[in-house]
Amino acid sequence: MIIFGVWLAAYLVGAVWYLLYLMHMFQQNSYKPQEYGEWMRVHTNVGRLLGKCLYAVVSLPLVAIGSTGCLIAACLMNGMTVLVNKPHKAKKPLVYTPRVRRMLVTTGILYLLTAAAAVLPGLWMEANGGMLLTAQGILPVPDHPLLRNVELVLLLLFVLQPFLILLANAVNHPVEKKIDQYYINDAARILREMPELKIIGVTGSYGKTSVKYYLSTLLSTQYNVLHTPGNYNTTLGVVRTIRENMKPFHDIFICEMGAREVGDIKEICDLVHPDYGIITSIGPQHLQSFHTIENIVSTKFELADSVPPSGRIFLNYDNEYIRNAKTGKNVVSYGIAAADTDFRAYDIEVSPKGSFFKMKDETGKTYEFHTKLVGSHNVQNIAGAIAVAHTLGIPMEKLLYPVKQLESVPHRLQLVRQGDRILLDDAYNSNKNGFKAALDTLEMFRELRILLTPGMVELGEKQYDENKEVGVYAAGKCDYAVLVGKEQTKPIQDGLLEAGFPANRMILVDDLQEAFRMVNAIPGEKQKIILIENDLPDNYA
Amino acid sequence: MRKHAARRLNCRRTVWQGNKEGEKKAIMKIRVGVFFGGKSVEHEVSVISGLQAYNAFNKEKYDLVPVYITKENELYTGELIADIANYRNIPELLKKSTRVFLMGEKNGVKLIQYPEKKFGSSEVAQIDVAFPVVHGANVEDGSLQGFLRHYNIPFAGCDVMASAVTMDKYVMKTVLKDSGIPVLDCVTLYGKEFESGEQATYDKVEQKIPYPVIVKPVNLGSSVGIKVAKDREELREALEYAFTFGPKVLVEHAIMNLREINCAVLGDYEEAHASECEEPISSDEILSYEDKYVAGGKGGSEGMRTARRELPANLTPRKREEIRELAVKTFRTLGASGVSRIDFMIDRDTDQVYVNEINPIPGSLAFYLWEALGKPYAELLDDMVKLALKREREEQNMLTSFESNILQNANLSGAKGMKK
Repeated sequence: MIIFGVWLAAYLVGAVWYLLYLMHMFQQNSYKPQEYGEWMRVHTNVGRLLGKCLYAVVSLPLVAIGSTGCLIAACLMNGMTVLVNKPHKAKKPLVYTPRVRRMLVTTGILYLLTAAAAVLPGLWMEANGGMLLTAQGILPVPDHPLLRNVELVLLLLFVLQPFLILLANAVNHPVEKKIDQYYINDAARILREMPELKIIGVTGSYGKTSVKYYLSTLLSTQYNVLHTPGNYNTTLGVVRTIRENMKPFHDIFICEMGAREVGDIKEICDLVHPDYGIITSIGPQHLQSFHTIENIVSTKFELADSVPPSGRIFLNYDNEYIRNAKTGKNVVSYGIAAADTDFRAYDIEVSPKGSFFKMKDETGKTYEFHTKLVGSHNVQNIAGAIAVAHTLGIPMEKLLYPVKQLESVPHRLQLVRQGDRILLDDAYNSNKNGFKAALDTLEMFRELRILLTPGMVELGEKQYDENKEVGVYAAGKCDYAVLVGKEQTKPIQDGLLEAGFPANRMILVDDLQEAFRMVNAIPGEKQKIILIENDLPDNYA
Repeated sequence: MRKHAARRLNCRRTVWQGNKEGEKKAIMKIRVGVFFGGKSVEHEVSVISGLQAYNAFNKEKYDLVPVYITKENELYTGELIADIANYRNIPELLKKSTRVFLMGEKNGVKLIQYPEKKFGSSEVAQIDVAFPVVHGANVEDGSLQGFLRHYNIPFAGCDVMASAVTMDKYVMKTVLKDSGIPVLDCVTLYGKEFESGEQATYDKVEQKIPYPVIVKPVNLGSSVGIKVAKDREELREALEYAFTFGPKVLVEHAIMNLREINCAVLGDYEEAHASECEEPISSDEILSYEDKYVAGGKGGSEGMRTARRELPANLTPRKREEIRELAVKTFRTLGASGVSRIDFMIDRDTDQVYVNEINPIPGSLAFYLWEALGKPYAELLDDMVKLALKREREEQNMLTSFESNILQNANLSGAKGMKK
């Protein structure tokens, strides 16, 4: 009995932790059984799940045999289960929303019910001489000593927990649906009661969050604006924003719309009925769930489809997918490359003060804008925000100031003045395309251009090729390359040299401090601009 | 006795309006809390001004919550609070009304009944915008504004700093002088200083300001406590009188051949416009409290509206423009917002214009000066709410979109003065 008590206590701790882990994963997969299922099928995740129930599986024969020695061993196994299931500190921990709590309760009940259903008939029969009496008479039920083994049943349930979550979700589904629908209806009522409110939908594969912030800042010069916070870009995120933050005095609601599947954008549009829409970019993101790029295009254009004849759809014509898509709506185009757009940022110049560019209004009058932000994608996004804000009635000259006030996201191609040197801080970037875009921005500076990087890491098989590729690319874009880690940056060195970069302008160092010493030692009167690329610690001082 | 209390004033956020198809349509209204009264010598005037504004708001667009601040600075609301007739017997009114406190929550400010109910919600109302219509020190001087700011609620009118600066006439003159706006030189005196050295006080005044002089409490509006002195004897009298109203007074040269002109300004630092000009008609050497608020016939219950005045003031177009421009400049220099009234003095002998004072929340919100230009009171109130919201969102933008806690990554273990 004591052994069983110990066993059960350890079991419960392990089981609860495992359950919470699974719940966390289910939450991260947006409570979508399909996505969660896909997540479970990913190799590394299969391994992770097996690892977490490994000791429970090993315990199975031990509890089946059931001798005291075996049970003590099983206790140890449970102890191991507890250890391997000990929760880690997560970047985005499990949030105990009411939904999660409801699901945990259901899971608990299912656990008890299944365990009882498996064990009780056998125990009952044992106590009543092999007969199970019901109102209908005597029922033959499967009976086997192993079925009467509580430990065995519990361990099997432990292993099956990933599926128990799905079952609990299915049980709760009708209730959750009702609750969601109540909130959705309430949000729709609030919007109905604000007939003067103008609603702007923002979607795109990249840049929608930036555009949302820029647009909100620009429109605030003249209007009371509410935008969906953070990345609340699902239907329920939008619903929550409306119910919690919408005030009677709001003039404009900027609604970020995210999509994982065909129909996601339409679902949000059917709730909010946007008057205007902006599609910032289209690219092969979430291809797993969309399958084809055509599906992505048509999903993003669900926003265009929802815009009324009196409204406008703002399109980034630098993006080929967007440019080539057909829509029967009133299009306002913007961009930085194509010359035939309605709102085009041109004559873009970059300096340590940020970007300068020009834009014309509909009368052809030119305005010179200045922003602290650099990078062509940023200018493109700002151009989109200007196009919308101006179309909504804000004169261009009133947009000059707020554009200047826009803030960069920290460590994302952020221009930082540090003493006498200027940093182009792109430390959070970690992919090839971002690296190249940052080099393109660096190239535009007239100052002495220095690349400082340890290269990209954790790329697996592609480690050498991708690093070499950016090395080749960097050769024509910077005056000096300071590479941190002699061994680690070998592929970049190869790339640089192969592309004809002068070897005496390639400086190899061991750490960041040495890197900055070497940067300071580079001769010349010219102001230095240092692109800090990828995976460096936050603090450079 | 509290059975009348705790009626929710705006539990329905919406009203039903018929539209052209004949069906009913619900519209969400902006909830405005009108604050008036307060611990001030101008308490009663504020009640009149406040309820005047309360009644003038466009009810199609706004849901109004009257909030009466008692002389003890307690807050009361309720249906009876909005009717001026009930203020003849204030204790009775309070008994039948609900005492409340403000509660700031993530999504808005609520009025909560005090003491709270044992069961059920004690929420009496929710407000989106606060609208202070208060006069005088302890309320108009930035106190109420700071109180509201603490709750992160947008409020109409001047912010804390502008309210405080305009309320102290000496500070106001100093600021205006720095921007080249004409004001009269002055001397400030403390009551204790006067008690301990009368002679020194007279010398100090006479050295800087030639007789006749005018003595006024430094932080009172509505002409309270003001007297003119033609010699030292009268100065003593005037000082003693003024010190009964406050510990700090201001002495400046009295313009004997004086014309007073008032002009209001509506707007903020970015854009501001001047109203029509008026000339208050004085029955004495200066416009007294009685002139301003009591002399209007029916015991003053109509407020500034019935004070004796000439509107528009009889000015040459050029003088009128000079004053209106100066009014806007004064308003912007002081960082005022909403509607303020600037009172000017003209020395008839020299035709020189001086800024005398600025009322961050003028009596009756100076609506009559706007009506004279064809702007109805409801529209003025509408503009003031819009300005309140504008200031709020500009402050929000200042906080930037990226919130971070600097202490999050800081090494705090060795912080100076930090206890282990």
